[in-house]
Amino acid sequence: MSGPFTGGPLSGDPVFTTDTEETWHRVHPVSPLVRGWVAVAAVIFIFGRNSFDSLLTGGWEDGGSVTGGTPVGIIGAVVGAAVVIFGVSFFLSWRFTRYQVTDANVHINSGVVFRQQRQARIDRVQAIDVVQPLVARAFGLAELKFEVADGGKSAMKLSFLKLDEAKRLRAAILARAAGVPVDPQSPDQIHEAPENHVLTLKPGRIVGAAFFSGTTLAVFIVGIAAAVVVSLSKEPSILVAAVPIALGFIAAYWKAVTTDYNFRVAVSPDGVRLHYGMLETRSQTIPPGRVQAVGVTQGPIWRMAGWYKVHVNVAGYGADSSQSGARSVILPAGTIDEVMTMLGLVFPDPGTDRPFEVFTAGLRGKGADQGFVSSPRQARWIDPLAWRRNAFHATGTALLCRRGVVFRQLDVVPHERTQSLGLRQGPFAAALGLASFELHSTVGPVRPLVKHMSVANALALFDDQALRAATARRIHRAEQWLAPQAPEAVTPSTDSHNSNEETHRGD
Amino acid sequence: MGRKNLPRHHGSAIDPEGVQFLRVSERLITARFISAGITALIFLAVTCVPLVLKLTGVWGGYPAWLAWAAPAVVVLSAVWEMVLIPRQVRAIGYAERNEDLLVKGGILFRRVMVVPYGRMQYVDVTMGPLERMLGLSTIHLHTASPGTNAVINGLPAAEAGRLREQLSARGEAKLAGL
Repeated sequence: MSGPFTGGPLSGDPVFTTDTEETWHRVHPVSPLVRGWVAVAAVIFIFGRNSFDSLLTGGWEDGGSVTGGTPVGIIGAVVGAAVVIFGVSFFLSWRFTRYQVTDANVHINSGVVFRQQRQARIDRVQAIDVVQPLVARAFGLAELKFEVADGGKSAMKLSFLKLDEAKRLRAAILARAAGVPVDPQSPDQIHEAPENHVLTLKPGRIVGAAFFSGTTLAVFIVGIAAAVVVSLSKEPSILVAAVPIALGFIAAYWKAVTTDYNFRVAVSPDGVRLHYGMLETRSQTIPPGRVQAVGVTQGPIWRMAGWYKVHVNVAGYGADSSQSGARSVILPAGTIDEVMTMLGLVFPDPGTDRPFEVFTAGLRGKGADQGFVSSPRQARWIDPLAWRRNAFHATGTALLCRRGVVFRQLDVVPHERTQSLGLRQGPFAAALGLASFELHSTVGPVRPLVKHMSVANALALFDDQALRAATARRIHRAEQWLAPQAPEAVTPSTDSHNSNEETHRGD
Repeated sequence: MGRKNLPRHHGSAIDPEGVQFLRVSERLITARFISAGITALIFLAVTCVPLVLKLTGVWGGYPAWLAWAAPAVVVLSAVWEMVLIPRQVRAIGYAERNEDLLVKGGILFRRVMVVPYGRMQYVDVTMGPLERMLGLSTIHLHTASPGTNAVINGLPAAEAGRLREQLSARGEAKLAGL
C-alpha cells in the first residue's frame, strides 16, 4: 500500500504538479468502503436480522440451542466469508483504479474484470464538481467530477481523494483548460485561483423557498382530502394510511432544505463557483463561456415574496435526473437583484446599455415594454392569459425569450450558443396568422421558446437570429479563457451593471 | 415548393422569404403508400377477425355494429392517409444556404428548421429495405441539442451522398465548438 495518492509536494502547499506519461496515482484506499458502505450495511443488516430472528424463534419453539439450529460455526464462516469477499473486492477495485493528469488530458483506468481506460481532453472541460457525501466527509475525502460535453451521460469521476488533493486537481485542470501561461521558472506548478465571494443565501431563504413550494400546495390538498374523508367516514383510524404520504412530504422538505442549505456563490478566474449542501456538500465550478442558456422562473406563490429560480444549461450537466436537477440550478431562490448578479456573472456582457431595465422587463414586463416584441392581439384567442407576456428581445449579445403569466419564465441564450432554430405553426395558429419560434440549446432544463408571434415577426426573428448566430460564431470566443493571446473581440462594452469582470482577465 | 397548394391565411406561410427549396423524390410517395398500406392491411386483418367469427356464427353474440365499424374505421383512416401522403411529401423541402441548412415539412402542422453547418456534430444517412428498393435514403442531422430534429426523408441515394459530403465539408470549414 505504498500508493502515492498525493500528486505534488505534500500538505500545506497549494501547488500542483502535472504528471508525465509514466506517473500514475491511486485514489484514497478507503474509497471503495465509502462507496460501498451501503452494500456492507445492507448485508450486515439482513444477515444480522435473519440470525437474530432465527435465534428468537428457534429459542422459543424448538427449545434447543440458543442459536436456533444455526451452529455458531456457520455464522462465523458466513461473516468471515463476507469480510474476505468485501475486503478482496474493495482491495482489487482500489488497486486497479489509477489516474493521471497531464498537461492536456485526464486519464482514469478502472475495473477489475472489465477494464476501462478513459481519457478526456482538458480543454473540453465543461464543468468540475467537488462532491463530499456525508460518509466521505467523515473521512475528509471528496469526489472530483469532470464533465465533458456529452449531455451528462458520463462524467469522469475520481472517488475519493483527500479534499485538498481534489481541490489541487481541480485548480490544475482549470488552469490548463484556461490556458494560463506557464511560469518559466517552475513549469509544472500551478497555483489555485483566488475566489471572491459574491452572495450567500441565508438559511431562512432556503427554508422559506422549500415552504412556499409545490410541496406545500400538495400538503394542503392532501390535508383537505384527509379531513373530508375522516369527517365522512367518522373513522379517524383511516389516517394511518396517510402516514407514508406524510413521511414522503417530510422527506421532500428535508431534501429541498438540505440540498440547497448554505448556498454560496463565488467568482474566480476559473469561473463561477457554487457551494451548497448541508449533509452532502458540493462545490461546482462553471468556467466562463460554458453556460449555454439561462432560464429564470417564478411561480405564483414566489411572486408574493419576489423570488426567482435560475437554471442553466451546461453541456456536461445534461438533463440530470439523478440529482432532480439540483446541479443545473445556479440560484435556488433569489431576489431580483441577486438574479441580476447571477446573470452578470454568467453573461458578463449583456449587450445593452440598460441591462437592469431590459431584464426586469423580461422577468415582469408585459407587452412591448423595453423593446420587447410581443404576440399580436389575435393571439388572445388561443392564449387568453399570457399573450402579452409572450415576447422576445435581442440584445447585442443574447436573445431573451419571455413567456408565462402564472409561471413566469425568461430564457436567455447568447447568440454564439445557438445550436439550431425552428418555426412551428399548427392549424389554429395558421388561421390566426401566428407562428411559434423555438431555439434549440444543449440538453438541459432551459428550452427557449417564443410562442404565438405574428408570422411576420416570427419570420423576421428566424432570419435575424440565424444571421446573428452566424456572426457571433464567426467572432468565436476562445475556448481557453485565460490564454495570453485572448482574441476577445466580442466584449466591446463593459457596462455590466455589477462590474463582475473578473472572468475576463485575458489581457 | 407549391405554396399555391397551401391554405394561405393572412397572406403568408412560414417559409423564409427568397429561399429556393429543393423537393425530395416523388418516389417517397410510393414508399409511404406501401408502408401505410402494409400497416393498414395488418390492422384490417386484426379488426376483421371478430367480423369473420360473427359471420361464420362462431361468435354470434358479438355486436354487429362493432364488427363492421372497426374495419370501416381502419379503411377510412387508411384512405385519409393515402390522400394526405402526396401533399405531405411535396411539402418536404430543404435548402442549402451559405451558413446553414433549412429543412421544412408538414401541411397542417408546419415547421421550418435552420441548422448551421458549424453546429452539426454528425450526419446519419440511413436506408431501410423499402427505401433501398426504391433507391432512396434518409439523412438526419445531429447537433449538440436534442431539440434539433432535422430529418430529410426520401432523398435519392446519389443526392443523399452528395448532401452528406457537402454537409461534412461545410461543417469542417465552419466548425465552432459548442
